[in-house]
Amino acid sequence: MPRAPEKTWGDRVSLSCEGLNNDGIGNTVVGGLTCGGTRARARLRLLLCMLCASLAAGAAEVTQRTSSQTGLPIWTVRAGGLSLELAPQLPDFIQAVFTSRGIPQEAANLIAADCVFGTIVRNASEGVISYTLADWRAVTSDGQAHPVKAKAAWVSRWRELGVTFRWLLLPDEQTFNVGDWSQAFTTVELPRDTGFDLHVSWSERGEQHRAIVEGLRCAPAKGPQ
Amino acid sequence: MRRRKGLSNRVRLAAITAAAVLLGAVGLQAQPPGGEGLGHAMTRIEAPVAAPDFQLQDMDGAPQALSDYRGRVVLLNLWATWCPPCRKEMPSLERLFLRLRAEGFVVVAVNQWETPDHVFSYLGQLEVQPTFPVLFDRESKVADAFGVKGLPTSFLLDRQGRVAFRAVGGRDFDHPDVERTIRELLAAGAERPISAAP
Repeated sequence: MPRAPEKTWGDRVSLSCEGLNNDGIGNTVVGGLTCGGTRARARLRLLLCMLCASLAAGAAEVTQRTSSQTGLPIWTVRAGGLSLELAPQLPDFIQAVFTSRGIPQEAANLIAADCVFGTIVRNASEGVISYTLADWRAVTSDGQAHPVKAKAAWVSRWRELGVTFRWLLLPDEQTFNVGDWSQAFTTVELPRDTGFDLHVSWSERGEQHRAIVEGLRCAPAKGPQ
Repeated sequence: MRRRKGLSNRVRLAAITAAAVLLGAVGLQAQPPGGEGLGHAMTRIEAPVAAPDFQLQDMDGAPQALSDYRGRVVLLNLWATWCPPCRKEMPSLERLFLRLRAEGFVVVAVNQWETPDHVFSYLGQLEVQPTFPVLFDRESKVADAFGVKGLPTSFLLDRQGRVAFRAVGGRDFDHPDVERTIRELLAAGAERPISAAP
């Protein structure tokens, strides 16, 4: 079933709701309300559909600040019941974090070579939300979609190097009750200083939601500070 | 007719805008109190299940089992020094422990991956040093047994050793709501004997 076109909500983020479905004859359906039909009725239905979509998606905003430690930007996204903070991490810092945990330099180099973000995922709703990292994509300007690398893939790679460490990375999937949150690293196999849009999805009260966070950028080799 | 239609559209647009603003406001009100801080909400487990027992070494190398604390309300906290929210919530755990330990409450902190030497040196830098037991789980077997995916994760066990509440992510544990919850658990099993404090 084709997905409804995504709507733009404010600056640098767009959202869509899986509740917006197509009924197969060209009408968009929102929570049982059919959008389409004759022109006169369509206008009213469209307006109601927009309202329904607003309710499903909730208020969304993206704010950006500069890290006092790295001089790099930190993006904070509020989309429906999902709160997301993304902070690009310099390679030197990532190497230091992992080697100070006793991780061999070779394993630390592997992860530091990727595009690494300090990531905070928070349930900002009054219900249960869940995410699956395998559904998230970093889409570069050439249209290529790059998966957010699974923690399981890193753990497996480290095991090959004789390392049993399995922390510091965002779990591949989590269900958050009210007040739950996680802070860890996420990685994408992209060169340093690469710009991309992050396509994220999550489930909220049984409904699938999506958001696109535009204009993110991997950390450069060296920070401005 | 055209004018009336235009007016109708403007009224409709105004109504839609007002409704959208209202919905936005509802969305904002739904955010948990405390903004982006630690928060204090814990999830009640509707059907409490027996916590898996384990035995680990403490800072001095002495073995301690979770079942040693049966009869008390236990806040089991899985943590590591590299984890910022773990560090942030640690002082509130100590304050909570000091406030309620005489009533049959204990905090058991299970460190992940790290060595006692490393943790000892970290704890020495803290203004508020924990006086509750810190155990060491180099292989994260306790995390596996409790299905923990990320740090910190905490469980509140009742006096019968059942998992009654869970919290994923850091919390402000000495918040009055958390203390009230623990006091309820303490009162619920107060008729049962309390094992000797370590």
